[in-house]
Amino acid sequence: MFEGPVQRLIDELSRLPGIGSKSAQRLAFHILAIEKPDALRLAAAINDMRDQVTLCERCFNVAAGELCSICRDQRRDDSVVCVVERPQDIVVVERTQEYRGGYHVLGGSLSPINGVGPGQLRFDELRARLQTEGIEELIVATNPTVEGDATAMYIAREFKPLGLRVTRLASGLPVGGDLDYADELTLGRALAGRSEL
Amino acid sequence: MRVDWLSLVDFRSYRALDWRPDPTVNLLIGPNGAGKTNVLESIGYLASLKSFRSASDSDVISRWSGSSVIRAGIGSIDRERLIEIEIPREGGRRTQVDKTKLKRTAELLGVLRVVAFLPEDLDLVKRGPAYRRDLLDDIAVQLWPSAYLDQSEYDRSVRQRNAFLKSGDRDEVTLAVWDSRLAQAGGRVMARRIRVIETLTPLLAESYSVIASEDAQVGITYSASWIEGAVPSVSAGEYADAIARALEARRRVDYERRMTTVGPHRDEPGFSIGERDARTQASQGEQRTLALAMKLAAHQAITQALSETPVLLLDDVFSELDPNRAEALAGALPENTQTLVTSARPEDLPISGKVWSVGEGDVG
Ligand SMILES: Nc1ncnc2c1ncn2[C@@H]1O[C@H](COP(=O)(O)OP(=O)(O)O)[C@@H](O)[C@H]1O
Ligand SMILES: [Mg+2]
Ligand SMILES: [Zn+2]
Repeated sequence: MFEGPVQRLIDELSRLPGIGSKSAQRLAFHILAIEKPDALRLAAAINDMRDQVTLCERCFNVAAGELCSICRDQRRDDSVVCVVERPQDIVVVERTQEYRGGYHVLGGSLSPINGVGPGQLRFDELRARLQTEGIEELIVATNPTVEGDATAMYIAREFKPLGLRVTRLASGLPVGGDLDYADELTLGRALAGRSEL
Repeated sequence: MRVDWLSLVDFRSYRALDWRPDPTVNLLIGPNGAGKTNVLESIGYLASLKSFRSASDSDVISRWSGSSVIRAGIGSIDRERLIEIEIPREGGRRTQVDKTKLKRTAELLGVLRVVAFLPEDLDLVKRGPAYRRDLLDDIAVQLWPSAYLDQSEYDRSVRQRNAFLKSGDRDEVTLAVWDSRLAQAGGRVMARRIRVIETLTPLLAESYSVIASEDAQVGITYSASWIEGAVPSVSAGEYADAIARALEARRRVDYERRMTTVGPHRDEPGFSIGERDARTQASQGEQRTLALAMKLAAHQAITQALSETPVLLLDDVFSELDPNRAEALAGALPENTQTLVTSARPEDLPISGKVWSVGEGDVG
């Protein structure tokens, strides 16, 4: 145990994901060693983020106001919505520069092991959007995990009957990957999951 | 294939081991508790990404340490590769091949292939069906590494579906989703098992007659409650459809028992000798011969598929066999195969090879 305030910071840091007690100690003493303005800037950044950033009222992306920058952008195509698990996934899709539609952040994926059923995800909010917006297609971009796949299937079952087009991002071979360099594992899966052209 | 060198850090009883096994037959000799099985376990781990004797990964980490590292130089016909795996107590495993980080741990599979024979394998005919399901699944991974993903997905789907049934939630759409997810992965697991059986059956009959020095009609059986009558050889998709239908038919029972009562995780593989069920109607001698023959058949199947021989691990097996069967096994061992044999009593070994003395955290 260290002096009260030091120990308090160590305890807080070690509650962060991926940080053990040793790393927390190292970080705390680092923050103690740097110039005071640098340390306060870190504290202010945390403060500001929590004060100023909220979730977009429409798509639940991170936002600095009621709507996120994507929802505020008039040039985007409102008829297509890409459904993702977390706000971070939006960044990945945006980086491709290929997509001009909107988003909907579910807040996770179906996982009964962790007590997550449809009620814990933002499906009601998605249904509400379908009532008021002219959405024609949902592109499901949940993770390629058992839980992400199950969530995609759930979306297909719930929303296809409403007359929407529901598509799923293709998975398998990495985009731009050369067949020569694809590992045996990925190739095996890609073959098993091959689709008609 | 061969292990040219092996290096362990904080793996079980080894603080730091550096060992260069012989490319042919290695005899690891030492008293009980010396650390012989630990060496074989580390090599088995590289080939299957799990321990052959503990369900939990953290068991292999030395009691005094926070993580284990296994490194090895693997030689094959056309190349030499360096593989490394770090197993931490907390967090995910890290793997490298030739100093390049792998995106997924499972990509390590296939670099080294192994057939392991442990003392408890001698009873594989009469043990519970779970043991024989694992046997087929383990051979599938050595033959086709991507089977590992299918198996993990299937296990995960079963656990998720069971958690849903236990939750008391009765949402039909959610259950249908888990049914479908489970059926898809289950269909792939099933297709692999049937392919393993088809591949091994002729080889098994051959190995059996070599060890028993008599011809016998031995076969691998497979019974699945979700298939009526004999199990057909069909595509993964068709198995998946059959599983999905069975899950739907069993819904009421599954809700009541709060678990998934049908699917490949409940199937019963077995063996037959002539018309007899080997589990209930074969002698202990016949059962043991079958077990040995099964492992040799697996070794041969992998050799044929790869044009390369997997490493063979024989842990304390000879001391468990009567002298005749031990001799017969020694005579039936595959040639041009790196073989690691452990024993506490070298005088019991009917084969010769390079002798290593194991003890005090070292092999020398
Ligand atoms: N996680 C562990 N950490 C340290 N030592 C271990 C661990 N697991 C097993 N051991 C030790 O390894 C020894 C058993 O090694 P083993 O390879 O099974 O021996 P044998 O030569 O009989 O095959 C025992 O002394 C046991 O205490
Ligand atoms: Mg042992
Ligand atoms: Zn938004």
